[in-house]
Amino acid sequence: MLLTTSVGSLPKPEYLTTTRTKARKGEVDARVLRELEERSTREWIKTQEELGIDIVVDGEQYRGDMVAYFAEHLGGFKESELVRSYGNRYYRKPIIVGKITRPKPITVEWWQFAQQLTKQPVKGMLTGPYTIMDWSFNEHYPSRRAATLAIAQVIRDEARDLERAGAQYIQVDEPAISTRPDEMDLAIEALGIVTRGLRAKTITHICYGNFAAIGPKLHQLPVDQVDLEFANRNFELLEFFRGKRFPKEVGLGVVDVHDHRIESRDEVIKNLKKALKVLRPEQIYVDPDCGLKTRSPQEAVEKLRVVVEAARAVREQLLH
Amino acid sequence: MITTVVGNYPKVAEGAYSTKLIGAISKWQRKELTDAQLEAVYQEITRAVIQEQEAAGLDLLTDGQIRWEDLVTSLAKHLEGFEIDGLSRWFDNNVYYRRPILHRAPVRKRPILVETYRFAAGCTKRPVKAVLPGPYTFAQMSEDRHFKRLRPFALRLAEILNQEAIDLARAGAPLVQFDEPALGFGRPDMKLALEALGAATKGVKAKTAVYIYFGSLNGALEPLLTRAPVDLVGVDVVSDPKALGALKRLKVAKELALGCLDARNTKLESIKGLHEVFRAVRRLVPSDRLTVNPNCGLEFLPHPQALAKIRRLTEAVRTYPGASTY
Repeated sequence: MLLTTSVGSLPKPEYLTTTRTKARKGEVDARVLRELEERSTREWIKTQEELGIDIVVDGEQYRGDMVAYFAEHLGGFKESELVRSYGNRYYRKPIIVGKITRPKPITVEWWQFAQQLTKQPVKGMLTGPYTIMDWSFNEHYPSRRAATLAIAQVIRDEARDLERAGAQYIQVDEPAISTRPDEMDLAIEALGIVTRGLRAKTITHICYGNFAAIGPKLHQLPVDQVDLEFANRNFELLEFFRGKRFPKEVGLGVVDVHDHRIESRDEVIKNLKKALKVLRPEQIYVDPDCGLKTRSPQEAVEKLRVVVEAARAVREQLLH
Repeated sequence: MITTVVGNYPKVAEGAYSTKLIGAISKWQRKELTDAQLEAVYQEITRAVIQEQEAAGLDLLTDGQIRWEDLVTSLAKHLEGFEIDGLSRWFDNNVYYRRPILHRAPVRKRPILVETYRFAAGCTKRPVKAVLPGPYTFAQMSEDRHFKRLRPFALRLAEILNQEAIDLARAGAPLVQFDEPALGFGRPDMKLALEALGAATKGVKAKTAVYIYFGSLNGALEPLLTRAPVDLVGVDVVSDPKALGALKRLKVAKELALGCLDARNTKLESIKGLHEVFRAVRRLVPSDRLTVNPNCGLEFLPHPQALAKIRRLTEAVRTYPGASTY
């Protein structure tokens, strides 16, 4: 109970970010980049083991944006010119221009690479069909629904391949699900296509947004575990679960990934105990609010350490 | 029919007026560029997007809101009483804005947009409209720690926006537009929205407009099209597929601006499809009271597709057989 994990992405060390920039400009060979991606993946696996995290991740050192990464490896997508996301930040948004296909497995090789490095289970990490659709332009499919369902087919194939390779945990992230509550049913249908028939434990991570509107349908999500950010909302989200017998496991984000401040162990323990008044201990998985990629490597390690130490302390108290 | 854009336009164009604004802003933030140097880049890009709109054949232009990060902070950061906070989602888009927090009664010390409006208007012989956030949306998208009630907050913002609108009209803006996307979400307080809009447009010696986009039009459509204290109402008929049908059941008492190209998707509309939309509203308003534009600002699109959309719009109007008869 109170198993610890992380949401997916971990920060890239400086040697990797500088090399990625150079590789984009064609100044560095793809093989050199790959070697550094493998090096930092090894380092992160080792760090997670040393910290004592129960379910580890590969840290997504080889991914940029969580949607663009899949779009780059799927057929039917092309990259757009720059669009602004906020302030002075721009990105290239994928455009669906043809039938979506998966020429070959996308994440399986990296999953295998990471799993060979550790005895702990490594989570398979995918981006969900609704989010890929919502964060792309669509010039090919007649509707948002048609595009979402087409993406669901290829993400399902990817999930199957991860399971076949041995993944015991498969997380399908749907951060966009909270944007348009009127499309929640579509997101649920598409996620169902991905997870149907999987024996691996399935998880979805949702963040940012109109929780009040999607809350009532949370129990319909076709996954074993729903992972949510609690820390950056002062654990107010717990109120939603109070007095309900929520039928799924809950991934409990206990440290804020957008804040430089490292939470204290006591603070996280106190919040975990608060959660235990509402949820059963075997129902809870403990992790940061979201991917840690925006923090410095040092901050990420310290945040993960607090997650593990607090979860351990509470576990001890429950057992004795 | 008049062709226009709603407000913003891509700030960068890899194949046209460059991406230099990104570097200029970063350098300015690091104090490696002076205010005057950044201003020169803003002016250069503003001029380029105005020329591009002109060349595409639009009748009524905007400055492209090249200096704006989003609809509300561009005003709020110049008002006393506001602090600009962290990122929040911009309605149902995967785009973020900085949420203004109101700590004390807001005060406008001096005109905010007048100088940049004058610059933009000087870049072209075509008319350039001025765009402001609507008071209701401005209030809804801010966090109010002062009034703690929507009504006094929205009405106070309406007074401030009114001063700005009056000054913009005095600077020559033929049309002052108020954007109210918040009316497409939840259950908007239409009585308050109309009252605030009335306060914002009072005594403005120019044509006035309200634009709504995103979401669904819920109960907003009928009150706006019959009673809004403005000359022109802009309606997004792309985001809500039911909007066009709903529109046809109403008596339109205002000039109508039809948001008929999807500025949130790169897929280019066909001329035929646009003509069908034009025909669908021909009995609602005579063509001299009809404006056509994309459904919202063009900045959600990469530059080539944004330009393609406005070119397609003007082409559709040029080739519309009904253009001369209605």
